[in-house]
Amino acid sequence: MAASLQRGRLTAPGWAALVLGALIMVAPLLWTLLLSLKHNGELVGHSGAALHGPYTLENYAAIFGNSLTTRWLLNSAIVAVGQTAGVLVLASLAGYAFARLEFPFRRTLFVIVLLGLAVPSQAVILPQHQLFAWLHLHNSYPGLILPGLVAPFGVFFMTTYMRGIPKELDEAALLDGASRWTIFWKVIVPLTIPAQSTLAVFTFLGAWNDYWWPLISATRSDMYTLTVGLAAAQMNYAQTSGLGYLMAQAVFASIPIFIVYIVFQKQIVRAMAGAAVR
Amino acid sequence: MKRAAAALLALLALGSCARADHRTHLYLQRFFGECGAEYGGGTDIAKAEGECGIITTMVDRFNAENPDIHIDVNVVAWPGYPQLTAQVAARDPPDLVTMHEGVISDYASKGLLEPVDGYLRAAGISPKDFTEAARQGVTMQGHVYGLPWDTHGGLFHVNTALFAKAGLMRGGKPVLPNTPEELIAQARQFQQRTGKPYLIQSNVGDPAFAARNQYTYMMAQGAVLFPDAHHIRLNTPIGVEVADFFRRINAERLGTQNMDTPAAIAAFINGEGGIYPTGTWMIGSFEQEATTPGRPLYRSYAVFPYPRLWGQHVEFVSGHSWVVPTHKRTPQQRAAVARFFRFMAAHNYDWARTGHIPAFEAVLNDPRFKALPHRSDIAPLAAIGRPLPSYVQRQNAIEGLVGEEMAAGFTGQKPVPRALADAERRVNDLLGSVE
Repeated sequence: MAASLQRGRLTAPGWAALVLGALIMVAPLLWTLLLSLKHNGELVGHSGAALHGPYTLENYAAIFGNSLTTRWLLNSAIVAVGQTAGVLVLASLAGYAFARLEFPFRRTLFVIVLLGLAVPSQAVILPQHQLFAWLHLHNSYPGLILPGLVAPFGVFFMTTYMRGIPKELDEAALLDGASRWTIFWKVIVPLTIPAQSTLAVFTFLGAWNDYWWPLISATRSDMYTLTVGLAAAQMNYAQTSGLGYLMAQAVFASIPIFIVYIVFQKQIVRAMAGAAVR
Repeated sequence: MKRAAAALLALLALGSCARADHRTHLYLQRFFGECGAEYGGGTDIAKAEGECGIITTMVDRFNAENPDIHIDVNVVAWPGYPQLTAQVAARDPPDLVTMHEGVISDYASKGLLEPVDGYLRAAGISPKDFTEAARQGVTMQGHVYGLPWDTHGGLFHVNTALFAKAGLMRGGKPVLPNTPEELIAQARQFQQRTGKPYLIQSNVGDPAFAARNQYTYMMAQGAVLFPDAHHIRLNTPIGVEVADFFRRINAERLGTQNMDTPAAIAAFINGEGGIYPTGTWMIGSFEQEATTPGRPLYRSYAVFPYPRLWGQHVEFVSGHSWVVPTHKRTPQQRAAVARFFRFMAAHNYDWARTGHIPAFEAVLNDPRFKALPHRSDIAPLAAIGRPLPSYVQRQNAIEGLVGEEMAAGFTGQKPVPRALADAERRVNDLLGSVE
């Protein structure tokens, strides 16, 4: 009701501006889709050919014709789901500890975690690569998943969220004889579902789109993630003689992300608006 | 939940499965893309087209002809050096890698590549079999560090229909200039008669274009671009003369403006200019346009090395090669590498169908090669081609820096002397940090 009232206040120019903005946002995506449906040869001389038929699915057929594509898709799914699950567990536990427990150097440790937000991943890529080499973890799922579990943002996010949950709930549970673990698992975690879902979406998207670490850790093609595999499959000068295929790859790689956005759009919007942190 | 966990564990275990057979395995890493869907399993090299198709079929053919060896192919995103460096750091490098000749010095100088002299001897290949450009490209401090696979460099791709309209054809061949002044005069005539620019230029986002032009015409005048391993010398009277020449082309609007590579390719294909100076790798695409009725380039395409405008007829080139990263290998694997080299050398003609210049003199003189479209016109590139000196490291990065600055100088975004000075400073800073 409130939403429809808000919509009712929009004037015609406001609607026009919104529609124009939406069109500007959608245009590159639509252009990508149209290019992906054209024969490569037609696009070499004139990419404007995408605006009219005939259209073809041959670029998508070529993607699936590669026997490794489904393997890369599976790898990406395992890595993204594994990282998401791991981050949720670790960030929730750490967040609970920082928000609720008293232990030595708690504040110092939290500051150290926050400092992690300021360190770009590129700055630690060399020692990280060396460490994983010593552990013989390259070209393995643990090798692809573990670095993503270091998630200072997730810890900060969950700590902040849990601090907003009234302590009276913990105290009431303690009076009823609940252990720390029971309080965490039965009381706190259910109340953090909105934050968990927001963190899950962002972690999943980050893991799915990651290129740099899989590029240097997964150096055997059967362990590539989808981003690395599709890049490797491109022929040289793909932007000229293989434009349709290139765009089909972009569309194909975006589909899971698109689905995640559609399913979790409420959480994403709320997270963007900062509403998930109370 | 338990079932999902069990399934996940099963998948993880599956991903860790090791092969078990009695063949000698070689782990080959290459770029050129993945086209297994179209060519996977095929062994008829003559039917394969394009870099990806030909290399895919060649490796499958090698595997079919050598049942005791199996090449495991790993396709990497071009150019693949971040992955190779990571593999070297993890002490798990491949056995064979495609490498641009300009990159060999980066790895060989640190002992990360094996000299391949022994493999070549075992394969019955002598460095004397290579073309001059190919031999220079893979030789460093008296050792050969790779099997040269081709030579590639810039070519003048010409729209002969527009050249005819401009009155610049003689005996069915385009008339290319012999001096800078001649080029300017021809360009003016071309523009006057066709209403189109003489040169199609990709000065945006394509540093190789500007760097290639600057290197080539400085080399032609005998300039020593790299007096030692840590310095470049561009800001000289010769450097200024070359850069001023390209600046003049832009100032007089004799070339296209604000084009990146795809735009320049499209412009050439659509007949929007006379000459597109770009690489050997575009011959196949342009030839396809030239043989398709109804296309603007139909029966209107010719291609030649860069013309001699100053001094000697030389041209900056690079090439692809097969290198062997330093690693512990069994005698069987070493023998397999030698057999792979012999096979690839024997099929160098097939690779030359991509448009690249062969790395072997014998192929250059092979009637099959000469019979390929335009190859007799571009074959001189093997003799006039000059790579950068092998003691220069970071050649790719240097090309990027030089190209960026020279494009700024050519297009007037910077005064030419400043562009040259900035290029020198940036390259020298980079080389100063190289051990």
